[in-house]
Amino acid sequence: MTNLRQFSAVFIASFKYCWRNPVAVAVLTAFPILIIFVLGNALSSYMSPDYDFEPIPVAVAVAEESGLQIFLQNEEVLKFLDLTFTDAKTALELLENDDVTIIIEEGEDGKLIVTRPRTAGMNAQIATSVADSYMQTSKAMEYAIINSSDFHEITELMQILNADISVTETPLGKRVPSAIDYYAVTMLVMILLYTGMNGIELFNKSMFSETGERMLTAPVSKPVLISGLLSATTLTSYLQGLITFLFSYFVYGVYWGERIPLVLLTLFGVTLFSQAVCIFLLLLIKNHNAAMGAAQGIFWTSTFVAGGYVKIDFGAVQQVFDYSPNSLAHTVIFGAIFGGNESKMTFDLCLLFAYTAVMFVITFLLGKRRLA
Amino acid sequence: MLLEMNDTVKRYRALTALDHLSLRIQPGETLGLLGPNGAGKTTAIRILTGLTKADAGELRLFGKNVGNKGGGAFPASVKRRIGLVPQDLALYETLSARENLEYFGKLYGIYGAELKKRVDETLEVLGLSDVGKKVPKKFSGGMKRRLNIGCAIIHKPELLILDEPTVGIDPQSRNHILDFVDEINRQGTTVLYTSHYMEEVERLCSRVCIMDAGRVIADGTVGQIAKSTIFEEMITLKIKEPSPSLTESIKKVQGVINCTLEGKKFTITSAVGSGNLPRILEVATPYTILGVSAQSATLEDVFLALTGKRLRDGMDGGEAS
Ligand SMILES: Nc1ncnc2c1ncn2[C@@H]1O[C@H](COP(=O)(O)OP(=O)(O)OP(=O)(O)O)[C@@H](O)[C@H]1O
Ligand SMILES: [Mg+2]
Repeated sequence: MTNLRQFSAVFIASFKYCWRNPVAVAVLTAFPILIIFVLGNALSSYMSPDYDFEPIPVAVAVAEESGLQIFLQNEEVLKFLDLTFTDAKTALELLENDDVTIIIEEGEDGKLIVTRPRTAGMNAQIATSVADSYMQTSKAMEYAIINSSDFHEITELMQILNADISVTETPLGKRVPSAIDYYAVTMLVMILLYTGMNGIELFNKSMFSETGERMLTAPVSKPVLISGLLSATTLTSYLQGLITFLFSYFVYGVYWGERIPLVLLTLFGVTLFSQAVCIFLLLLIKNHNAAMGAAQGIFWTSTFVAGGYVKIDFGAVQQVFDYSPNSLAHTVIFGAIFGGNESKMTFDLCLLFAYTAVMFVITFLLGKRRLA
Repeated sequence: MLLEMNDTVKRYRALTALDHLSLRIQPGETLGLLGPNGAGKTTAIRILTGLTKADAGELRLFGKNVGNKGGGAFPASVKRRIGLVPQDLALYETLSARENLEYFGKLYGIYGAELKKRVDETLEVLGLSDVGKKVPKKFSGGMKRRLNIGCAIIHKPELLILDEPTVGIDPQSRNHILDFVDEINRQGTTVLYTSHYMEEVERLCSRVCIMDAGRVIADGTVGQIAKSTIFEEMITLKIKEPSPSLTESIKKVQGVINCTLEGKKFTITSAVGSGNLPRILEVATPYTILGVSAQSATLEDVFLALTGKRLRDGMDGGEAS
C-alpha cells in the first residue's frame, strides 16, 4: 500500500516534470512532426510551382535506363536537382572542383552510394535527402513487392512509382507507398530512440544530483523509486512518439497499414530499448551532458546506417547492423504495413525486446555498483 | 545521544576528506559545524545521512547502529526521522513550490488533508504562501533557498541537517532562515547547521564544532572555545579626567592582566571569560565615564588562532545564484 502510494507520487511528479521541460518537448515532439512534413513532402506536389528554388548541382553516375535514372528525371526531382549524367571518374573531378555538391551512384546490389565532401553544406544535405527519398520509396516498394504474387500488380506499381511519387491509389485498391510513408517510419523510430534523453534527464535529476540526495535520503525503496521514474519517462517518451504517429496518420495521411497494434507494440519496444541504453550511458559516463552527447551520437549513427543509403563496406559487420534494434524495428513495422515474413517479424520483434531486457539487466548491475 | 559518529575516515584517492572525525549531538541541541571550504563538512553530512560510505568508523543514529552502506541505504525508520537540506538547491524547477512540497511529503508517507495542512503551514512559516503556485525557476535566490528548506521539514524530522543553507542570498531571506531554524529548534527539533559564517553559528548554535582538514579542532560553546584558545579580551574605557592612580586600581581587579593609559583612554587586557567588566566600572565610578567598549573574542579570532587561517578566503566564497 505504502509502496503503491509512493510509486504513484514518484510517477505523477516525474511525469509532470518531464512534460514541463520545454526543450525536450519541442525537440522530441514538434521537431519530428516538422521534419516528416518537410522531408516527406519535399518531392510531392505540395510545393507550389512558382517556388523560388535554385536547383542544386549533382553528378549522377548510373547505368542508363536504370530505375534510379528514370526516377531522377522525374519532373518533381528536377525542381530540386540540376543533374549531370556522367561516368564515375568525371563525377569525382566535378566534385573536387566544387561544380557539384554530391555524386549519386548505384551500387551493385541496387543500393545508392552518395559521395560528398566531409564539409558538406546545406545544399549537399538537401541533395542527399532527395536521393535518399528514392531509396526510402524503393525500400517501401520492396516490401510491397516481395509479398505480392501478382506480377501484373508489380509492374503496375513500378510504373506508377516512376511516373509520379505522390500518393496514388492503384487500380487494385492498394496504396502505393510514397516517400513520406517511409520517412514517417524512419523518423518515428529515430525520435523514439532519442526520447531516451528524457530518461537521462529524469534519472540524473532524481538520483544523481542534489535532488537525488533528497530522494535517496527519503524513506522510499529503490525499486519503487526506479520503477516510478522509469514508468514516467517511458510513458512520456511513448506519448511523444504517439503524437507524431497520430499527426503523420491524420494530418499527413501517412499509410500505417492495417496492423496498427503491432506497429505500436514495436514502437513501444524501441521506446523501452532507448530508455535502457540512455540510463546505462548515464551510469557509465556519470555525467549528464556527456551521456546526452553519447546517446545522440549513437542514435544518429544507427539511424544513418539503418537508413541504408550510405553503402559502407562493413563486410561481416554489416550483418550486425541488420540486427541493430533500429533495423529490427524497421523490418517489423514495414512487415506489418506492407506484409512480411511472419516468422521473421516475430523473431525480430522478440529480439528487440530481448535486447531491451539484456540492456536493463546490465544497467541494473551497473547501477548497483554506482550507488554503493 | 541522538547522533554519534566515531573515528570516521573518508578518503578520495590521496586526499583524506575526513580524518578520524568524531561528532556527537544531544537531543534538542543546535550544533554548528564550522569550517572553511574543503574542511569536510559536506562529506561528514553525506556519511551521516547514508549517502556516502565511510572507509572506517562507526555511526549511531537515534541510539541505533546504522552500519556503513552509502547510496541511501539507511532503514526507512531512520530516514523518516531525518531531514536533509543539501548544500545546493535540490528542487524540481518546473514543479510549483506546492508540488515540490507535496511530492516530498508523499515520499515520507503524508497524504490527503494532513499533507495539505502541512504544505500550507510550511509555505506560511517560510513566507512563501503567495508564491505556492509558482515554479522555483521564477524565484529569487532567497526564495529558492527557503523552499529548499521547506522540502526537508515537511515530514517534521527530529534531526534537521542544514548544509550551508544561506549561501549567496539577501540579508532578509537570511534572517528569515535563521529565525526559522531558531524557532524549529525551540519546538524540539535537533539541528545540525554547517556554515562558514561565524555570526550565524554564534547566533544560532548552543554548541560549535570547528573543523579543518577533516578533523574537529575545537568543540564546545562559543564561550568555552574562546576561553580555551584565546586568552585575552580587550576593554577600552574613556574617562573625562583620568589619573594614574586609577590605572593601579584597575590593575588590581581580578582577571586584569594589564592596563595602560593614553590620553583619556585606558586599554585593559583581561583574561577571557573573567566577567570583570562590572567590577572595573565600579572602580571607575568616582570618575566621569565617557565611554566603554568591550571586545570579546569571535569565532573568527578563534579560528585564526587555531589554524593561522581565516574562515573565509577573501569574498563570500559561495555560489552566485
Ligand atoms: N566525490 C569526491 N571526489 C573527490 N574528492 C572529493 C569528493 N567530495 C569531496 N571531495 C574532497 O573532499 C574535501 C572535503 O570536501 P567537502 O565538500 O566535504 O568540504 P566542505 O567542508 O563541505 O566545503 P564547502 O564549504 O566548500 O562546502 C575537499 O577537498 C573535496 O575536494
Ligand atoms: Mg560543503
